[in-house]
Amino acid sequence: MRRRPGIGGLQTAAAARDQYRLLGENVAKLRTDLMKEQLSTFRSQLEDFARKHKNDIRKNPVFRSQFHEMCAKVGVDPLASNKGFWAELLGIGDFYYELGVQIVDICLATRPHNGGLINLEELCKILSQRRKGAREAVSEDDCLRAISKLKVLGSGFEVITVGKRKLVRSVPTELKKDHNEILELSQAQGFVTVEEVERRLSWPTGRAIDALDTLLDEGLAMIDDGHRDGKRRYWFPCVSSISSFVASDTL
Amino acid sequence: MQTLGEHKLPHFFNYPPYFTLQPVRETREKQIQVWKELILDYCRTQKVFIIGLEQDFPLFSNPAIERSLNHEAREAFLSALVLDGRAEWMDKSHRQCLILWHRIKDWADIILRFVNENGLEDSVMTIEEIRSGIESRGTDIHGMDRTVLMRALKLLENKGKLAIFKGTSTDDEGVKFSV
Repeated sequence: MRRRPGIGGLQTAAAARDQYRLLGENVAKLRTDLMKEQLSTFRSQLEDFARKHKNDIRKNPVFRSQFHEMCAKVGVDPLASNKGFWAELLGIGDFYYELGVQIVDICLATRPHNGGLINLEELCKILSQRRKGAREAVSEDDCLRAISKLKVLGSGFEVITVGKRKLVRSVPTELKKDHNEILELSQAQGFVTVEEVERRLSWPTGRAIDALDTLLDEGLAMIDDGHRDGKRRYWFPCVSSISSFVASDTL
Repeated sequence: MQTLGEHKLPHFFNYPPYFTLQPVRETREKQIQVWKELILDYCRTQKVFIIGLEQDFPLFSNPAIERSLNHEAREAFLSALVLDGRAEWMDKSHRQCLILWHRIKDWADIILRFVNENGLEDSVMTIEEIRSGIESRGTDIHGMDRTVLMRALKLLENKGKLAIFKGTSTDDEGVKFSV
């Protein structure tokens, strides 16, 4: 098309641009509305779902964890605040705060024995023993959620993964790589010997002894000189199931 | 749970490192604490008054995990009890230890209660009667160590609650209550 000169041509072009823009805006608005509608439908359905399965969510730990997963996918955090719709509907905010308080309690009570590092499994077991009267069962997933909420307190509660196990740390000690490796090694029998550390990790003697001494000083390890072979064993209460026994005796 | 006779044992008893005196102070304090509780608890339920350090005392070894306390650990735990006023060394070389699972003054209170409950306020009894008579059966007093009993009675004598009188032999040593 031959470009038409003059003011008329310019005006036509401007008008056409306006038309396009309008059309574009309309399309965008339609899409947004549709999206908004879909989201609100989704939200209301999620709410319906939550309302309908309220008891399951409160009582069944597996169901609860799946529900959390679903919420996370659509960007809803039922624990974000204790006020608001979710907390009112489900009361799960309170549930996790209660767990949090009990977890802090258990960690403090067992600290003299395990040096502030406790197996998640053990923690969960003690927690369940303590909550025998409560209606809701508690899973490891619940513990992890409650602990993640404790982080806002800045008190150094953290979950660390050592080998196959998850350990909950309630002291601000920073575990170095060497210590982690020893803890991982100890998971097989609950203890290690200097010799074993040297052999399995190919460390020189000094390095193994240094790391073990630190773990002793931190209260994370205990020595055992009583074995027939005369070799000193370093036991780690945080990886042995014994911690729950001692803890439940003293709690 | 493992038992020793009728005594329920705490779970730390099955955890080998608790049988080695711990080098780190805080850990050792915790270790000593649980051992003190176990020893007192065991002596109370089994009515043990004297522990000989070199003798076979059931708590000093756990065959199930093949561990036993060495002399140093035994002495450390008992010394801690002595510091708490819950035990006394019976000799300078610390070979025997008297365990006061009730303190002497608590024993004195128990004896007073026993006197009241049995209406013995003005009676005369021999030491042996108190320790092994029908009246004391079923109480902590029954079968109690003679030394500990005498100490408690002396305390009561000082408070004017009774008078101890000596017979011709230790068999007819006795007390006159005047509560």
